[in-house]
Amino acid sequence: MSNRTLPRLLQAPAVLLLLVWMLVPLSMTLYFSFIRYVLNSLNRPEWTSPSLSNWRGFGNYNYVLDAKDFWFAVQNSVFIVGGILFFTVILGLSIAVLINKTFPGRGIVRVLLISPFFVMPAVSGVLWINMILDPVLGLNGIAVEALNNLVKDLKDLPVLGSFFSLWPELTPISFRATQTSAYAVIIMVTWQWTPFAVLIFMTSLQSEDQQQKEAAVLDGATSWAQFRYMTLPHLARPIAIVVMIQSIFHLSLYAEIEIVSRGNGNKNLPYLIGEFANNNIGAASATGIFAVILANIIAIFLLRMVGKNLVD
Amino acid sequence: MSIVTDKSNFGNFYRPILAWLVALLFFFPIFWMIFTSFKTDADAVKPEFLFFFTPTFDNYLNMTDNYDYWRFAINSVITSTFATTLALFVGIPAAYSMAFNPTRRTKDVLVWMLSTKMLPAAAVLYPMTFLTKNFLNIFDTHFLVIIVLCLINLPIVIWMLFTYFKEIPKEIIEAGKMDGVSTWGEIKDILIPLAWGGVASTALLCFIFCWNEAYWTVRLTTIDAATLSKLIEGNRAPEGLFFGRLSAVSTAAVGPIIILGWFCQKQLVQGLTFGAVK
Repeated sequence: MSNRTLPRLLQAPAVLLLLVWMLVPLSMTLYFSFIRYVLNSLNRPEWTSPSLSNWRGFGNYNYVLDAKDFWFAVQNSVFIVGGILFFTVILGLSIAVLINKTFPGRGIVRVLLISPFFVMPAVSGVLWINMILDPVLGLNGIAVEALNNLVKDLKDLPVLGSFFSLWPELTPISFRATQTSAYAVIIMVTWQWTPFAVLIFMTSLQSEDQQQKEAAVLDGATSWAQFRYMTLPHLARPIAIVVMIQSIFHLSLYAEIEIVSRGNGNKNLPYLIGEFANNNIGAASATGIFAVILANIIAIFLLRMVGKNLVD
Repeated sequence: MSIVTDKSNFGNFYRPILAWLVALLFFFPIFWMIFTSFKTDADAVKPEFLFFFTPTFDNYLNMTDNYDYWRFAINSVITSTFATTLALFVGIPAAYSMAFNPTRRTKDVLVWMLSTKMLPAAAVLYPMTFLTKNFLNIFDTHFLVIIVLCLINLPIVIWMLFTYFKEIPKEIIEAGKMDGVSTWGEIKDILIPLAWGGVASTALLCFIFCWNEAYWTVRLTTIDAATLSKLIEGNRAPEGLFFGRLSAVSTAAVGPIIILGWFCQKQLVQGLTFGAVK
């Protein structure tokens, strides 16, 4: 066997498998997005199976673009992803800087911190929405009620009571409405992915130039100045990577939305595709193509960065 | 000893306290889940038993009756194990040839492989359902779940193996070639023993991702091949009535994986950032 064929042969199974996995379903989605294809249609039974004679051109795309749901889903996807990114990056940076020095029990702190990342999304959703954020039975409700009771007791005190008399009765936030359940998703995903950001920032912090830092200290730079002018620029690349990887992962967030939204209208693109796919396959496919385009825009930047790092 | 030592009060006194507080705060939901799993369903929603209650193991003992836990757990073990094994079988030869016989196109192939990971799963939801249900007739089978889990993790597996293999000196592999060892022998007797740590942590990480996967395992199964993700996802509805038993089954579903995860923190960075962060 020649020098060239064997390496190719060894790569072939992986390449072929991934090629099929990528091309076959995607080209089917592309095809379905251009035809009329609905699963249940009493009037037009010919639309219930895929066929070129049901060609619709860009009709499905127009239909999707006109649907209020679509724009809401896009907006909501961006809102959820943006919220998660904002909190994970800020929290990740602060925590990484906080635990980047040695202190007693640092190993245990790291283990505790990373744990949320390994919780399966379904469990995270059920745990947060039922046991923590529920306005009545969850810790959220219990804490607010305890606070209200405390204030009520304080009001009855002889002298100090008048001081508390103006305090309002608090009502716990319900995370079951459309908008608030999006907040719930942001909270639970931030909880899960902050550890990831911390890990990456910590890895990167360890490669920071210590001599430069020592020089800065000798020159009398404050901690903030060190962070602002040395650490932060050093972290620019990892921050970009965290942002891109998370964007790609969270644009296809599904389990959390499914668990939290239960028909309250909170949806993102994958959820909307799931809804369309119950009947209108054409629209589901067109939405899918939009999702692919959205993800690709981010992926191109990410892959460029990753590709650059490859040593030939 | 570096001269940059934090002599301020913050460094010596508040830093550990703050770090511990943050860590405990992040771990709290998991702790709360484990804590609640020892309460009865009735106690779990009563504020007076919030912290003090009579612990019970009933939720764990009744897991089979309440949720048929073991069936789902066995499905998770089967699909994750086989998917990981398959991914290694396909990934090791590919990573081997990329690391030791790189061509001009190797870099492009690697980047292309990663790009398949960027495809939003939901976009191909219906074709996958259609193909597996009407065409191939493998909907809701272990086989399907194994193949899908293997494919979605294959890019990460190849990537991680590639970065580990690249660190092995080429000469060692070439020496084997001189001695007339076959390619398979090279992989089995030289490469894998040398890169054992890397292969093991790749496998571990792949297993964790398979176990936690929550899109395809939910959408491509109904009963027969349903995994723990599907079980928990299907039980999101009960409003507070079953906090105790739900906590127990959740703890059983995530406990082993969290512990496995502790062992591969470092590899996680490499695996998820595709080596872009060092």
